[in-house]
Amino acid sequence: MTVDFVLRDWNAWAPGMSCHEDWQKWRDHQTFAQEEKAAIPAAVPKILQRRLSPLARAVFNAADGCIDSDKSLPIVFSSAHGEVNKSLEMLKSMQKGEEVSPTAFSLSVHNAIAGLFSIAYDCHQEITVIAPGQDGIAPAFIEALGLLQEHHSEVLIVLYDEPLSDFYPSLPFALNAPAICALALKVSLTGNGLPLQFNNSSAHRDDGEQALQILSFIKFLVADDNTLVLGNHRHSWEWHKK
Amino acid sequence: MENELKQLIIDTLDLEDISVADIDSQAPLFNDGLGLDSIDALELGLAIRKKYNVKIDAEKEDVVKIFASVSTLADYIQAARD
Repeated sequence: MTVDFVLRDWNAWAPGMSCHEDWQKWRDHQTFAQEEKAAIPAAVPKILQRRLSPLARAVFNAADGCIDSDKSLPIVFSSAHGEVNKSLEMLKSMQKGEEVSPTAFSLSVHNAIAGLFSIAYDCHQEITVIAPGQDGIAPAFIEALGLLQEHHSEVLIVLYDEPLSDFYPSLPFALNAPAICALALKVSLTGNGLPLQFNNSSAHRDDGEQALQILSFIKFLVADDNTLVLGNHRHSWEWHKK
Repeated sequence: MENELKQLIIDTLDLEDISVADIDSQAPLFNDGLGLDSIDALELGLAIRKKYNVKIDAEKEDVVKIFASVSTLADYIQAARD
């Protein structure tokens, strides 16, 4: 399978990083700021702002830099673990005999951030939320490229994850990046931007799950490298700058 | 009672930028007024049960009337406790 597409625009947020120049500098030191929360975009209605978790703020911040307010796009969200840390907090409060907050429950489901986003941005286009498990960022590309083949002119991909609570044993798996990170990519089949080719690969790779692969992809975007290969013991995929 | 209830609404629903004085006792709580939604209604119902030991049963009560405004909610809680 080989598909050509164009990366029209991208934007990523992590603590201390909110523009392309920040990520250029990050390429050399690869460290993050401590405990910073993403700014909430001005487009988000006040009454919804209180519902945004730190992870949702990162997603909104990254996506907002990639979209035009007057044109809503189909969106493919992808997160390995979503807001599972919220579910853990609820389970802990149930263990203490407390009642579960309906708000916390509604915001803990895997598509909660996508739901909030569609309300805040009045998006009536097709929205998909993928839990890619072991396979990292590639399933989101496959889904988005499929939507482009179905004659959508542009699709927004939003990849996001936050470190899992220490409660969950992660070894021997490579699940966690050092910080929250969200990456938004606007893709199309034609037009201006960075032309890319996407294909599967027979390489055996050990690049970790999505949280780590997001950072590898950002590094690929800001570096001079022409090829990125990512995989996590199962399928492997390649991205080439053309 | 009404002011106490307003503070409970602000604290429970994370309405950081709103003060007790900003909430009109007669104004609608949902949609047009404060702009609260159905999740807020559930959250508020839970907070009222915890604080006043008053359970609002959606099966038996006219929830729309009870939650119409701070004033109607205060009347309902008052009556249920007496």
